[in-house]
Amino acid sequence: MGLLAAGIGAGIVAIGAGIGIGMIGKAATESIARQPEASGDIRGAMILTAAFIEGVALFCAVICILLVFFGG
Amino acid sequence: MFQTIRRLFLTLLFLSISTSHLFAADANSESEEPVIDVMGTVADHDYFKVPKFINGGKIYLPRLIFWEDAEGASQFSAFLSSKKAIESGLFEDVDHVLTPVSGSIKLDMSITSHLVYFWMSMLFAVMLTIAMSNRYKKGFGRDVEPKGAFQNLFEVFFVFIRDEVVRANIEGHKADKYVPYLFTVFMGIAFMNLFGLLPWAATATADLTVTATLAVISFFVIQFSGTKDHWEHVFWFPGVPTPIRLILTPVEILGLFTKPFALAIRLFANMLSGKIMIISILGLIFIFADFFGTVAGYSVSIFSVSLTVVLYALKTFVALLQAYIFTLLTAVFIGMAAEEHHHEEHAADHAA
Repeated sequence: MGLLAAGIGAGIVAIGAGIGIGMIGKAATESIARQPEASGDIRGAMILTAAFIEGVALFCAVICILLVFFGG
Repeated sequence: MFQTIRRLFLTLLFLSISTSHLFAADANSESEEPVIDVMGTVADHDYFKVPKFINGGKIYLPRLIFWEDAEGASQFSAFLSSKKAIESGLFEDVDHVLTPVSGSIKLDMSITSHLVYFWMSMLFAVMLTIAMSNRYKKGFGRDVEPKGAFQNLFEVFFVFIRDEVVRANIEGHKADKYVPYLFTVFMGIAFMNLFGLLPWAATATADLTVTATLAVISFFVIQFSGTKDHWEHVFWFPGVPTPIRLILTPVEILGLFTKPFALAIRLFANMLSGKIMIISILGLIFIFADFFGTVAGYSVSIFSVSLTVVLYALKTFVALLQAYIFTLLTAVFIGMAAEEHHHEEHAADHAA
């Protein structure tokens, strides 16, 4: 059951993080297209925000790993 | 069928695969190690991996152990290798963990492979930076243009970290104080990550203890750079009613600790997952060869090896990206803590 929970959990996390990072990517490319001269700043903000989302996703990944090893 | 799928999944879930005894018997009956040992490749070891023709592939590292004997007296023992420790009769091997015959371990200060790579990376970073700073002292790069590809490359990285990471996120005159620390962190992590791509080498950052150490250092740097305003925002948030402060203060205090925790986990998980992915994809060759015959193994190897090459290129990029993200987020957090607020504007902000 622990393995199953970890698998399902990891899948949901991947969906959430994928949607989040996808939306950042969409917004960033749109704004670079509108204002190509600000692409450097936008890229920085994009990486920063993506890193935060990734952080949340990785927290959940750690929980999934804990489930695999200690979930029984 | 169910068993097959389960085995495939188990491999992908970083357990060393259950069929490993087959390969171990085929490859070398004397060695106990399985051919695909996912956990063994990413775990920390008491030896330094080298090509097989030198000392059988392993250079053992010294063990330094503080331990308590049966009478409760503290002891310190140093051995050249784990084998020597067992030969001395004081220690025994329990599931590949060195344990005293009688008593218990208090503190294991042994030098491990990840620690060696940590030191090596820091040594490289320091040596490179000192060598380069000597060139700048002589005038190359200040009076005349930087000379040579090496110095130019170094300057690209250094100026990027100074301008785009540190000065962009920490305000004004305070920024330059943090350039040395953040540049050391960047170079150190980048070297550690890139060392992990070399054959036989270990990725020190794929170990939670290493990244946690880095994050703890960052935590102290962030907290010691905090201004009065920063602490006021943590303990007594200005411009909100007192009942809300009761909720905000625990959240803010928790926030102090989750930031470095996230830093450690992010770096660790990224480096570990890259490594596990490559090993698992290469491991598919052996699984297919085992279940469907040698031909299947060869055909899968075409797919596996080409995918691994692409993943390697991606890992090189991720190695530098993760070093950059760690440095950037540390700079952002320092910038948030070191920021001087202007209270008149602030009250207006909160009222609005």
